[in-house]
Amino acid sequence: MSGLNQPVSLPRPGTWRMLVRDPGAGLSAGFVGLMLLAALLAPWIAPRDPFATDLMAIMQPPGGEYLWGTDGQGRDILSRCIYGLQVTLFMGLVSLIVGGGLGAAVGFAAAFYRRLDGLLMRLMDILLSFPAILFGLALAAIFGPGLTSVIIALSIATVPLMARIVRGAALVVMGQDYIEAARATGMSDARLVWRHVAPNCLSPIFVFSTLRLGQVILLGSALSFLGLGAQAPTAELGAMAAQGRNFLFIAPHISVIPSIAIFAVVLAFNVLGDALRDALDPRLRL
Amino acid sequence: MGRYALQRIALAAPVLLGVLLIGFLLMQVVPTDPATVRAGPQATAEVVAAIRTELGLDAPIWRQFLLYMSRLAQGDLGVSIINNVPVTQELSATMGPTLELMAAALVWSIPLGIFLGTLAAYWRGSWLDRIIMAVSVAGVSLPVFFLGLVLIWIVGFQYQLLPFTGRGGPLWTLDGILAVILPALTLGGVFVGPVARMTRTAVVDSLTADHVRTARAKGLSEYRVVLRHALRNALIPVVTLIGLQIGFLLGGAVVTETIFSWPGVGRLAVGAILSADFPMAQGTIIVLSAGFIVINLVVDLLYAVLDPRVRLS
Repeated sequence: MSGLNQPVSLPRPGTWRMLVRDPGAGLSAGFVGLMLLAALLAPWIAPRDPFATDLMAIMQPPGGEYLWGTDGQGRDILSRCIYGLQVTLFMGLVSLIVGGGLGAAVGFAAAFYRRLDGLLMRLMDILLSFPAILFGLALAAIFGPGLTSVIIALSIATVPLMARIVRGAALVVMGQDYIEAARATGMSDARLVWRHVAPNCLSPIFVFSTLRLGQVILLGSALSFLGLGAQAPTAELGAMAAQGRNFLFIAPHISVIPSIAIFAVVLAFNVLGDALRDALDPRLRL
Repeated sequence: MGRYALQRIALAAPVLLGVLLIGFLLMQVVPTDPATVRAGPQATAEVVAAIRTELGLDAPIWRQFLLYMSRLAQGDLGVSIINNVPVTQELSATMGPTLELMAAALVWSIPLGIFLGTLAAYWRGSWLDRIIMAVSVAGVSLPVFFLGLVLIWIVGFQYQLLPFTGRGGPLWTLDGILAVILPALTLGGVFVGPVARMTRTAVVDSLTADHVRTARAKGLSEYRVVLRHALRNALIPVVTLIGLQIGFLLGGAVVTETIFSWPGVGRLAVGAILSADFPMAQGTIIVLSAGFIVINLVVDLLYAVLDPRVRLS
């Protein structure tokens, strides 16, 4: 079996060209970059204080003095969205890093130590059989509603998914001749995984992480919308949409604008993830 | 088949036990003491102590667990702190509406998703395929509450076409059907995209299979080839994937119920957690988790019935 043309590999030359040629990918990558920048630079680019209330200017429609209008307490929606993006992306990234990291460790362990495989993957199947929202409800019941509960819940829900992806990719890589060769040189297990197996599993991990980030943000904002996540006065996009519900019939923009922001963020990650998958694994493009 | 079913059930049993154990531990870590709550604010220390003994709260923890299990077996999940109603009573009143909502969402979204996915697969690479897939990605990215709020605002409020708060009655009455339309559109709306994507992949695989070529070679019409030969075989993985996506649907149901004040289990759970009604929160979480274990079991067994390879491997 030749190890050269296996499906799992580092980005080949031409991957970026393929990615750039896909207009959806270029647009979404640009949008994701812009959002990350906006979230990082929130204190400098937000036009106003996101917590400052102006009772003389409540529920202003978008377009006037306040570009995206104001909410029920006269707070600037644009500034709150920029800060909300910060909280939302932070929530998503932390859950992805914690859950994804744990999941990757489990996946590598299952692929590497075949005796553990059955047990580990059964445990992952069990975790997988419960929807993320249920973890969210249970953790909010135990620790009380809050951003921490949401992050823990989303991390737990990410572990089994990442474990499956990593195990599958690692098993393919482990069957290669060069792994056998490296093993024959007397390399330690940890070094073997770190130097040879993990780098060759990067592309599926990368694709999954991009798509998962979108899902995690969608779930997290839903939990915040329900009141189980970020608490007032924190500006979080899902929580902002929930606050606007009370004014839906007089000032729908208070709910609609943060909702559109979530939609745009998630859509960008989904389109980018799909494009990455197509570019990194051309067999999937039919 | 019998052996596979037994194996699968044997796997589900410890998971169920784990869920019950976690439910039990949940009540151990919460800050309120059920005896004090049940005794009421004016009770003396003696009364509280008597209730503690009566509820078995002074027993060692493993005995408390056994007691809790025997109560569960009798359908006793405790009493709500907020309104003193037995948890099982509230749960049994809300389960019907949740199932009703989920059924109403699935009844239109699955056929539409399968239809769109098949169209996209048949004309793959065409503009139609691209449009359908773009709409699906958008659907997968849409927050449930966004769709719900927009429907309430436009259909419910601006044009006053349909009711948008609560359940109108049983589904066989006109009020019941009218009231379920907007929640079902909301919940089903986010489900069409995933179904269409799954169907497209399965039908594309199936269209290139040998049996489809044979069907074409026999001179069957395209309509028959696609419907009878390609789609029918593609449906097995699609049905399984849909079954496994029920969890995704439940997440949406919790949000949909909250927005539309639909009297279901999800709204009950969220309300209980937000008002720190621990027995109610515990009960809803146990019931939802147990529901999942059963749904997964049923889906796996159905899959094994539909596809003999599963049980023979």
